[in-house]
Amino acid sequence: MPIEVIDLNHSFKEGTPFEKQVLFDISLSIAEGEFVGIIGPTRAGKTTLAQHFNALHIPHKGKVLVDGWDTSNKKTDLMTIRHRVGYVFQNPEYQLFAPTVGADIAFGPGNQQLSREEIDKRVREAMALVGLDYNIFYDRDIFALSGGQKRRAAIAGVLACKPKVLVLDDITAGLDPRGREEILAVIQNLHNSQNITIVFISNSMDEVATVAQRIIVINNGKIFMDGSTREVFSRFNELRSIGLELPEVTVFIDKLKDAGFNLPDGILSVNEALLSITATLREMEGSR
Amino acid sequence: MELTKNITLGVYLPGKSKIHNLDPRTKILAVTLIIILLLLSRSYVAFAFSAIFIGALVIISGIPAGYALRGLKPMLPVLVIMWFFQLFLFKSPGATVYFNWWIFEATAAGLHMGNLIILRVLFLFIVTTFLTLTTSVVNLTDGLESLLKPLRMIGLPSQELVMTLVIALRFVLILAEELEKIMKAQMARGVAFDRGNFIQKTKKIFPVFLPLFIGAFKRAEELIVAMDARSYTGGKGRTKMKTLQMSNADFSAAAIMLIYSGIIITTIIFTPPMI
Amino acid sequence: MKFLIKTNSLTHCYRSGTKDEVKALDNVSMEIHQGEILAITGQNGSGKSTLARHFNALLLPSKGEVSVKGLSTSNKQNIPLIRKIIGMVFQNPDNQLVTSLVEEDIAFGPENLGLPQPEIIERVNWALHTMGLQELRRENPHSLSEGQKQKVAIAGVLAMKPECIILDEPTAHLDPRGRREVLESILQLNREENITIVLLTHFMNEVIHCDRMLVMDNGSIKIAGSPCDLFQNGENLKKSGLELPVASKIAEGLRQEGFNIKPNIINMEDLVESICQLK
Repeated sequence: MPIEVIDLNHSFKEGTPFEKQVLFDISLSIAEGEFVGIIGPTRAGKTTLAQHFNALHIPHKGKVLVDGWDTSNKKTDLMTIRHRVGYVFQNPEYQLFAPTVGADIAFGPGNQQLSREEIDKRVREAMALVGLDYNIFYDRDIFALSGGQKRRAAIAGVLACKPKVLVLDDITAGLDPRGREEILAVIQNLHNSQNITIVFISNSMDEVATVAQRIIVINNGKIFMDGSTREVFSRFNELRSIGLELPEVTVFIDKLKDAGFNLPDGILSVNEALLSITATLREMEGSR
Repeated sequence: MELTKNITLGVYLPGKSKIHNLDPRTKILAVTLIIILLLLSRSYVAFAFSAIFIGALVIISGIPAGYALRGLKPMLPVLVIMWFFQLFLFKSPGATVYFNWWIFEATAAGLHMGNLIILRVLFLFIVTTFLTLTTSVVNLTDGLESLLKPLRMIGLPSQELVMTLVIALRFVLILAEELEKIMKAQMARGVAFDRGNFIQKTKKIFPVFLPLFIGAFKRAEELIVAMDARSYTGGKGRTKMKTLQMSNADFSAAAIMLIYSGIIITTIIFTPPMI
Repeated sequence: MKFLIKTNSLTHCYRSGTKDEVKALDNVSMEIHQGEILAITGQNGSGKSTLARHFNALLLPSKGEVSVKGLSTSNKQNIPLIRKIIGMVFQNPDNQLVTSLVEEDIAFGPENLGLPQPEIIERVNWALHTMGLQELRRENPHSLSEGQKQKVAIAGVLAMKPECIILDEPTAHLDPRGRREVLESILQLNREENITIVLLTHFMNEVIHCDRMLVMDNGSIKIAGSPCDLFQNGENLKKSGLELPVASKIAEGLRQEGFNIKPNIINMEDLVESICQLK
């Protein structure tokens, strides 16, 4: 199991008058090759939970195991864990610091004491994966990139560390529709062709619905739901009760059902909606 | 990793105590007075009286003493080094010598000098932290603005200075959070901030501060545009929503401060100085 | 209908006169009508923000003219009055809130206008009430959700009693709930306070609530019209890097399957109704 969380509890500002518990008794496991979406209201604890996966937070109570390594065990080398689990932050382009694209992407592997050839190989691979041409962009000034390109460069910087698991923390926020589409295509390709396990935190239900296979819903620091994407989004009343919005398509199908159409549960994409509405309408025409 | 956890300077701890409710101007003036008296104090007795007085204030305010002292933790190594410096390097002819090696000489004068400096830094820190813990940023800056107003006559742009302070205080937490995020992003890419020698550690700081500064400049630029759009043109012609009002409690506080000052000045005059 | 804002052959160049000169706006002529909700969309870098910042004289034309109620922004003396008429809300609420207390922040604008104290208090109360923020007035903006922060920013502009509010991607960094709440407040300001709204956005489910939309591409206006009309022709929008609202996509798909779906469908309610008529 790449990631296993057992009875995890976590508090902020422990030992001060501002102490606040943010995670309560969380247990979950993520299997190799999964594409897991994490959703939940703002400040529900999604980021805090995910930062336990690569030992940016160490559990105060409970355990987190990465490939069997206990992150709270003093003997565990946290660097090994961080190489296995990559983490891309929200607005990752704000964290770029090297003058050129190539130098920034090489930073992670450079910290792993690899040979120069190996580092260069990894930079090439990572750039190819995010769709930045090595010959054009390697020496490109970071400031000369567009917002979407900067974000892809930042993702490449994490990929160059060759993680087995990739945590993506709200990485499409603020992009325009085209930029968002490009990033999502990159992520899906990583999952399909590289077999990287993906943990995808997002505020956009439409996005999660189209990419994730499994969804974990966090509310007030607890696991509220954990199931397949279809299953989770067919329980819309519960999702609405904690203030989450549903994918637009799902809302629409629900309205049609209320109007007396017989449609299946858990429709998530425009194409699925079209297929099932067409089928239902044809059936009605036929029986008339 | 939580960077904001140990910041106590500038943090406000909301409460309803008599001290929280005082006019901020009273508190600022009182703290200034206490600081002046601390700088004049040279005897252990005077510091003992101040300790009792400040201790009483902390108890009245209802602030957990442990929390008030937490911010000292990161300063502790510096304080210890300062103390040793004074102990070994401060020389005074005729003082008792405890210990002697090469150019180092631990004397009674050095010991007392070390103690004096540590006590001053400690008390200054506690008093200023206490002020911000019991006074919200908004009250603090309103108080400052009101107190500094007369200085406008000699050409000091007091309102603009206070506005700068207001903005700086608002951005302290935002920038601390950003710093935490950048450090985490680097840790996620294999940087171990706690490993290596001094030079190696210093080298690791550069990739952190560059994006932090770029981010801060970008924020500053956006803030300027936003303030511009809201018709800010400096202090001239500006009015205020709130005006401060002194109450009976403030006059009682002034009386208490007067008594305290009397006691400290008496001890300063009549008790023997440390050195 | 009266024009509130009018641009005439507006051109704007950044770093003008240097070798890095970039033409961000190219010969843009447009009007904004009193009382309307206008959406301006387009990809990042298409020039929307540059255009919007000319409306309240944060930027001045390199060529051409912008006027607000007949007052030219190129005349320096008009600027204080123009900024009173046109308020502006930015993308990141953290970078536009000035103080550490919600009510003080809302008072910031009226204080800058030099209003008498009782009037400031009245306006702050009114803005808090209109935006539904009364309970948060003593909070530090830092402890609020992003959506609440953005509402505080809007209240801060509202307290200056502008005739028009420009919002530059106000929901880009919000979660869906924050996005919905902010959108609802904006629509309500237009409906109940008759404030002209200019909304810069990428989200088509926000555009469908607007009276009119402009699509910017490469520094000029590519398409203009009502959302209903423009969403009939998805290809044009795609060329400018935008997508159709979900309802329009499904309606289009069903039409292609040969079903008789009403034209001009942009929202879910109308689509459901139209499908029901097929029963």
